[in-house]
Amino acid sequence: MKRHNDGTPFIVPSLILIALITIYPAVYALYLSVHRKLPIFGISRFTGLDNYLFLVGDERFWNAFRNTLYFTVVSVTLELVLGLAIAVLLDKAFRMRGIVRAIVLVPWAIPTVVSAKMWEWMYNSDFGILNYLMGTDINWLGSPFWALNGAVFMDVWKTTPFVAILLMAGLQVIPRELYKAARVDGAGSLDIFRRITLPLLKPVILVVLTFRTLDAFRIFDAVYVLTGGGPANTTETLSIYAYKMLFQTLQFGYGSTLAIMVFLCVGMISLFYARLLRGGIAE
Amino acid sequence: MGTRSTIFIAAITLLCLLLFIGCSERKRPTEEAARSVIVFKHGKISGDPSIFRTILDRFESENPEISVREETLPASTDEQHQFYTLNLEGGASDFDVLSMDVIWVPEFARAGWIRDLSHLVSEQERSDFFPGPMEAVTYKGRMYAVPWYIDAGVLYYRKDFLDKYGFSPPRTWNGLVEAAQHITNREKDLYGYIWQGKQYEGLVCNVLEFFWGNGGDVLKEDRVVIDSRENMEAAAFMRNLIESGITPPLVTTAMEEPTRHIFGNGRALFMRNWPYVWNIYNAEGSPLRGRVGIAPLPSFPGKKPISTLGGWQLGVNRFSRNHEAAEKLVRFLSSPDVQKTAALTIGYKPTRRSVYQDAELRAMQPFIVSLHDIFMKARPRPVSPYYMMMTQVMQPEFSAIISGIRSPEAALASTRRQIEHILEADR
Repeated sequence: MKRHNDGTPFIVPSLILIALITIYPAVYALYLSVHRKLPIFGISRFTGLDNYLFLVGDERFWNAFRNTLYFTVVSVTLELVLGLAIAVLLDKAFRMRGIVRAIVLVPWAIPTVVSAKMWEWMYNSDFGILNYLMGTDINWLGSPFWALNGAVFMDVWKTTPFVAILLMAGLQVIPRELYKAARVDGAGSLDIFRRITLPLLKPVILVVLTFRTLDAFRIFDAVYVLTGGGPANTTETLSIYAYKMLFQTLQFGYGSTLAIMVFLCVGMISLFYARLLRGGIAE
Repeated sequence: MGTRSTIFIAAITLLCLLLFIGCSERKRPTEEAARSVIVFKHGKISGDPSIFRTILDRFESENPEISVREETLPASTDEQHQFYTLNLEGGASDFDVLSMDVIWVPEFARAGWIRDLSHLVSEQERSDFFPGPMEAVTYKGRMYAVPWYIDAGVLYYRKDFLDKYGFSPPRTWNGLVEAAQHITNREKDLYGYIWQGKQYEGLVCNVLEFFWGNGGDVLKEDRVVIDSRENMEAAAFMRNLIESGITPPLVTTAMEEPTRHIFGNGRALFMRNWPYVWNIYNAEGSPLRGRVGIAPLPSFPGKKPISTLGGWQLGVNRFSRNHEAAEKLVRFLSSPDVQKTAALTIGYKPTRRSVYQDAELRAMQPFIVSLHDIFMKARPRPVSPYYMMMTQVMQPEFSAIISGIRSPEAALASTRRQIEHILEADR
């Protein structure tokens, strides 16, 4: 009897399932992306790389790409820094720590569309609370500079708790003896943070970064509700652009080309982090 | 453990089963089985929904063999469009009559989703409908929907302030600017002129009114003429309104409701909006009651004022299994008599001009009747199956102009190129 029969037959069902639900749509999107396809008008013809060539010269695509990149870099950086600070604070033992931890999580628990609507009212330049509290007269969502940063700010407000909670979990597995030993050796708080906390937290930080970068790069709902991409597309991200092309104007061909670009970018980001992670764990 | 989990699973199964039974359609009474049921999809009906139901009940008593079921779609127009496109593309036959925004008809007709209804309205009868909606429901010379109710952009003004400073409602944009400057310099906390400038469909409605009011347009026959001199002037004027402080920068993020609130709180002298606002301002207890006036939008010197056409149209699903009954309902809802009832009860503005001559309507709804001349001149947005794509191009470019991000010349030239690219699909 062959005991070392490989398990292939057993994993075939799951492979088929995975193929059906992930590979098929991806391949179909790829297929659509090389067509000029307006299904509702019965227009469908193979156009080779035309869509991709159009994309290279499509100012609106590059604009959306820049917005997405800016949004991702700034929001993820801020979330990491703030999240780390909050995690370190909450890791200390103090009274009512449980309650404070729960409160910190509130923004993350509110559905994105709801909080985006809330922020839209707060940002309103005429009767919004932000201008009232600060005594300013800023047209938050109407100026290109503030609109995108306003969206970043809302995302930071919403997602920092998520980062903080994950990092807190990472902090808790660091053996306390290391801190004590460092103190005995006369290390200052900053040294301890730099030489013990950070290196031991690195794998968790990388996981957090992977999650957050991928999420931020595909940002859709928060910005869509807040500004709809305006003013003048200065807050339009790649996902919003793809959505408008696919579902509002029903251009399945070019819309899919955009979706494929998002997919490629996200893929590259994932590979980059996977590489870092492997290095981080081998260390 | 074993029995407990068995009970648990059994309970869950039972619950699912109950839910399933609860969700399945209840059997209609047998006497109704002989009647054919048609489904009417529409957006939210204004006012008390039971009033509209009585209109449908009247249809049922006049046509005992038909019963009508209404189904309301989400309030947002975008979501309704998405619902129809996804379902009709899949050949859905579970609704028979649908209400369509004024900009969808050519698209749905081109896609082959709605029935040609030309035979429902005779040539002679067609001249009774306002010209704008008739143009909007006609595709390649055939009528694909019947105008149900009409809407158009209008100018609201503060009657008390204009009277106080001796101004009459402005007929030209320069007149509006003059009045606004004079009065806002003397009154505290008062914006001059507010309108809708967020990057969305309403922005296109606003900008086109300025274009048309200067003799410009988007398409002329098959040619894209959006970068004409008239349009550039009009667009520059809009930007200038904001730069000169007549219009506060907040309009670049405003939709209808925020502007209605600001004007309603007494913070603006002039406002562009739709007629629905009138009744809210004149309701019992409104601070503005009796202090607001309404007028056609101004235009540029020597040009005619033209409002953007809004409103909804009735069509019949191409895949309906019961199109004869569906067509009867469309005829019924668009008949003069029912249009009059709808105007009297829920304030829907009739699309037939003859209804505006009705003595009872003139007595009960003088406001609706006073809009007749504005509706006569209301113009549909470009009547093209590709309008939904064109508006996606116009929205960001118009937003760029009024926010001062791009010059009208650059933005409109780029808009023309992009619209030309879209129209190539059909050539």
